[in-house]
Amino acid sequence: MPNKNLFNKLIGKKKLIIRPLLFFTIIPYLTFICIIAFYPKYFSNMIFNSSVSIGIILGLILIIIIWVITLLYVYLANKYIEPIIKKINNV
Amino acid sequence: MFKIFTSSQSGDLNIVAIWMFLIFVAVTLYITFWAAKKTQSTNNFFTAGGNITGFQNGLAISGDFMSAASFLGISGLVFLSGFDGLIYSIGFLVGWPIILLLIAEPLRNLGKYGFSDVVSFRLDEKPVRILSAFGSLSTVILYLIAQMVGAGKLIEILFGLPYITAEIIVGILMILYVTFGGMLATTWVQIIKAILLLSGATLIAFLVLNQFDFNLNKFFDAAVNTHDNGSAIMAPGGLISDPVSAISLGLALMFGTAGLPHILMRFFTVSDAKQARRSVAFATGFIGYFYILTFIIGFGAIILVSNNPVYLSNSGQILGNNNMAAIHLAHAVGGNILLGFISAVAFATILAVVSGLTLAGASAISHDLYANVIHKGANDKSQMMVSKYATIGLGVMAILLGIIFEEQNVAFMVGLAFAIAASTNFPILFLSIYWKKITTRGVIIGGSAGLISCIILVILGPIVWVDILNNAQAIFPYKYPALFSMTITFFGIWFFSITDNSKQAKKEKVLFDSQYFRAQTGFNKKRIFNH
Repeated sequence: MPNKNLFNKLIGKKKLIIRPLLFFTIIPYLTFICIIAFYPKYFSNMIFNSSVSIGIILGLILIIIIWVITLLYVYLANKYIEPIIKKINNV
Repeated sequence: MFKIFTSSQSGDLNIVAIWMFLIFVAVTLYITFWAAKKTQSTNNFFTAGGNITGFQNGLAISGDFMSAASFLGISGLVFLSGFDGLIYSIGFLVGWPIILLLIAEPLRNLGKYGFSDVVSFRLDEKPVRILSAFGSLSTVILYLIAQMVGAGKLIEILFGLPYITAEIIVGILMILYVTFGGMLATTWVQIIKAILLLSGATLIAFLVLNQFDFNLNKFFDAAVNTHDNGSAIMAPGGLISDPVSAISLGLALMFGTAGLPHILMRFFTVSDAKQARRSVAFATGFIGYFYILTFIIGFGAIILVSNNPVYLSNSGQILGNNNMAAIHLAHAVGGNILLGFISAVAFATILAVVSGLTLAGASAISHDLYANVIHKGANDKSQMMVSKYATIGLGVMAILLGIIFEEQNVAFMVGLAFAIAASTNFPILFLSIYWKKITTRGVIIGGSAGLISCIILVILGPIVWVDILNNAQAIFPYKYPALFSMTITFFGIWFFSITDNSKQAKKEKVLFDSQYFRAQTGFNKKRIFNH
């Protein structure tokens, strides 16, 4: 296989970037689903005497987390992964 | 029955809606005519030449994903029970980081037209392609039926056209776009539709929030005070009745998105993995924003539609059904012009989504079944012919199935399509990219078991067994099969792969390293691909 060392470096960096991002996608989502599954009442509490429930705020925060994760990945991939891929392909 | 459409307003309504729709059709047919000249090879037919930019593809992906069913269905669900709509929105959205982090780049680097190319990369091509084609076609056809039936009913109400005429118009326009313009025309139809839908929904949400001075507290207060269930609409309600259903639905939504053939296919329209990444980031942005809008629209409809007699029948029910909430709200905040615009947008949305689905179905038939199984080594010209006939065949079938299923409850079909995508397409794609020890035997047994168990569990479950077949009690107690069928697939693939000691299996394991290298780097894509 060509460029064994570069490739190992690529995989190492990819894992370093992808694993935490995957973790922060799946865990908050599963937590959200599990609260719905086991403690649905918890979501009906209102925040600071307002009419906005915790469930709705957490739902919106989850949407924002998903946005941040996709943007962060594109940023990190372009900065740290793309240069190595370019190197491998040019050899 | 439909008061607002039979009152004096109906003339205005139809004229605005019909004009806007005709303009949309004229523009898209012109694009199709332009695209037809550039669509002379199979490659162009399925990938638009691979020259779509990340931003354009992001818009087109969101156009593919934001169907009329999700626009009207989710806002209708929010209108009916508040918070529950958010469960669907978030589930649909969370599939996107999964696609981005795990699937998009290897898919782009290993495939040519679809995910089946990736699965068959080092496995025995024939059986694997047949299984992938079955997975794709069952997802596409179920989705197509749900869209066609929804389309017919919607157009019947909005434009006053008979159901059958509506089916035929949708079917014929879709056949024209896809047969002549292929992926290029379909992409531009998606892009235009995405822009129209996002602007229309933004306008409705803006006009609604404007009435509450953009104060969310005031806005949700008004909704809680109006809705029959009061503050219960701010928390999970009737959609999920038990923990197993919640987790099962959650899994189907999250992993189903990553197994939808018409979505995965879009990653071949961009030039490389870098653009594929950009596509997902843009698509996630647009889709997330769209779901926030549908949430505001659903709550807005609770306040402005649910007790306005103009939109209610004599018995106090909303005209049409809950899915009409967004449409009525458009009229309530923007009068006939906005109603006409949103109606035309809904029509355009349906056309765009069925076109994308049909293209994915045609790819499964011509690329997987015809060119790689039935007639291996078929030349480009004959493959192109088969693609076009497959498109026409799928279009005619969509019209007929739309008519046959008119009176059926088809809402469960989208759920089933997602469950199949999550239980067959996603696991075989994911494991063939990342798991060295996967073998053809494992994929075939595990994948088929997942597909079959999914269908059987839905038939034996409450939706089909009780609601449609009128039996007293469901044999399988849960509405959503994904938790069980996905487990069956993963276990099946694992077990029948590790116990596979055949020569073929050994060869497949040896090939993993070079496949993995290619998946991660896109190395030598053009040279190696002619294997």
